[in-house]
Amino acid sequence: MADGVEAREIVKTFGVGTEHEVTALNNVSLTIRSNEFFTLLGPSGCGKTTMLRLIAGFEMPTRGDILLFGEHMEDLPPNQRAVNTVFQHYALFPHMSVAENVAFGLRRLRKPKDETDRTVGHMLELVKLGDLAHRRPAQLSGGQQQRVALARALAPGPKVLLLDEPLSALDLKLRQAMRLELKQIQRETGITFIFVTHDQEEALSMSDRIAVMSNGEVQQVGTPHDIYEYPVNRFVAEFIGDANFIPATVAGFETDMLVCSTVAGRTLRVRGSGDHNTGDLVTLFLRPEKVLLHRQGETSSGRLAGEVVDVVYYGSETSYRIRLDDGTVILAEDRNMLDGSRRFAGGEQLFVEIGAETLRVLGQ
Amino acid sequence: MKRRHLEVGRYHGLGTWTVLCFAFLYLPIGILIIYSFNASSLAMTWTGFSLDWYAKVLRNDSIQFAAVNSLVIATITTLFATAIATAAALALVRGGRFTGHTASLGLVTLPLVVPEIVTAVAVLIFFANLNLNLGIGNVIIAHTTFCIPFAFMPIRARLVGMDTSLEQAARDLYSSEWQTFRHITAPLLMPGILSGAMLSFVISLDDFIITLMVAPAGATTLPVYIYSMIRQGITPEVNAISSVFFAASVLLVSIYWLLSRRVMSVPKGTGTSNASGGSRT
Ligand SMILES: Nc1ncnc2c1ncn2[C@@H]1O[C@H](COP(=O)(O)OP(=O)(O)O)[C@@H](O)[C@H]1O
Ligand SMILES: [Mg+2]
Repeated sequence: MADGVEAREIVKTFGVGTEHEVTALNNVSLTIRSNEFFTLLGPSGCGKTTMLRLIAGFEMPTRGDILLFGEHMEDLPPNQRAVNTVFQHYALFPHMSVAENVAFGLRRLRKPKDETDRTVGHMLELVKLGDLAHRRPAQLSGGQQQRVALARALAPGPKVLLLDEPLSALDLKLRQAMRLELKQIQRETGITFIFVTHDQEEALSMSDRIAVMSNGEVQQVGTPHDIYEYPVNRFVAEFIGDANFIPATVAGFETDMLVCSTVAGRTLRVRGSGDHNTGDLVTLFLRPEKVLLHRQGETSSGRLAGEVVDVVYYGSETSYRIRLDDGTVILAEDRNMLDGSRRFAGGEQLFVEIGAETLRVLGQ
Repeated sequence: MKRRHLEVGRYHGLGTWTVLCFAFLYLPIGILIIYSFNASSLAMTWTGFSLDWYAKVLRNDSIQFAAVNSLVIATITTLFATAIATAAALALVRGGRFTGHTASLGLVTLPLVVPEIVTAVAVLIFFANLNLNLGIGNVIIAHTTFCIPFAFMPIRARLVGMDTSLEQAARDLYSSEWQTFRHITAPLLMPGILSGAMLSFVISLDDFIITLMVAPAGATTLPVYIYSMIRQGITPEVNAISSVFFAASVLLVSIYWLLSRRVMSVPKGTGTSNASGGSRT
């Protein structure tokens, strides 16, 4: 399959030569496949919007190249790129009806009138706004405006659709519904989506692949599963959900296992983790839901004794802060079962099981 | 007037003050209008109702000639001034920073603070040196120069408040720069352009000093003509023509108000307003 969008060693510096010089993107290379739902994920200010604006053609890279389906985009203005954008605040044309907004791109492309009408009808149906075609944007709710923005950007049939935090202004319920809908529209239309968000849950639930960014640099690119389970560094691990970090030294090796001893003197085994030498300082990483909690156990079986410090109830799960008897505090998360057999109260003594395959050694 | 939550409405005597202020503003005009219906030929003695003076105004060819001059000058001036002001506003607001940006902004708005008599003398000398005599054209050129800033201010204000993401969205949807201007910038700028046009029309229409200096024979405008009538004594005819002038102005402003309400009613409170906040977050 051809590459949809390729960014090669992009550097973007704003205000070159002034005292406000900001490097928004620092040597970013990305390959986004055709038909992919690709997400740029990162905290505010990390350069996500800038990346989209470079692809759309609103900004020119200071250095580097952008290719769309193998074609160099150098100096091509936005109106000559087969890319459309769903803007962060929708940017609907207030003096036009919903239908006119959606038809705007098609008219500029000089499509025949009957074809335009048909496409507009089809698009409004796709986003379930058929009966609001004659309203003005001001007469729509936020969610409806969002759909108009989507229909307007999809109507000209772009090869790539750029979405800049399109769901951030919606309330939770609507946001969750729109996630599914967006994903479905992407699958149906087969258009390459480049989706920007700072919300890790959104990124995990919708994307084929995610690029995690921070400070104008790409930290990791991978499937949601890769990013969540195998973060390459502490930043990614922390940004994509809760995590335990346990400093340790490599003590030795067993068959495809790394034997580490924690600062507190505990021995933990980690399955199959890279090149390390005895004595290396490493950070072990563990997702809270991978920690198993037990009422009984004896330390010889690898279970660690501890005490519940804090309990936060989330409905479907409960999050515990547990102090192990060596003083280490770890975060654990457990599904709430019907019978309540696995619920613990603050102050309760319990045993914690950390499996060798749930621990990872993090790069720095 | 119904009293709302506004605290200021509770101050004692405020109503009286308000009435006094309005009286000060409008009483002279009211009296002028009333006396324009006076049958007497003495300006200040009421002898009965009559429309004679209006009839006389209508029969007076010089008045009509001056009125037509005024309208033609104001119309053409408005077209020129608004077009130039729109171009200037676009360049200064949407054109990015360029050398001389601040200086240009200052130069465009400078006529607002230059005393009118100075402008008048300067333009007069300028025309004399060039030996330029285009009749009414001289007046139009002079009026255009001092109307530009009045047209410029509201257009610029509107443009500054307009979110650039709409124009970007248009570019993204395959508009050339010109199409973006035609389909997005211009329609959204229209209330500003209308205000600017309205201001320059009214200011051109009632300009006196500059016109008096610059207007060659045959280019007399209504204010200049009325002034020349007054020098021969205040007659009810002056009252009548002034009343007509006043009525025309009120009509004009009302039309503008209705028009702008129609144009404005569209973009109010849409996605544009919340978009100004964080387009780069
Ligand atoms: N037009 C601009 N001029 C100057 N600095 C900018 C401009 N656009 C973005 N930046 C800066 O670049 C950095 C990245 O911004 P942005 O791409 O908007 O981040 P994000 O979308 O990830 O929140 C920020 O520090 C921002 O202040
Ligand atoms: Mg952003």
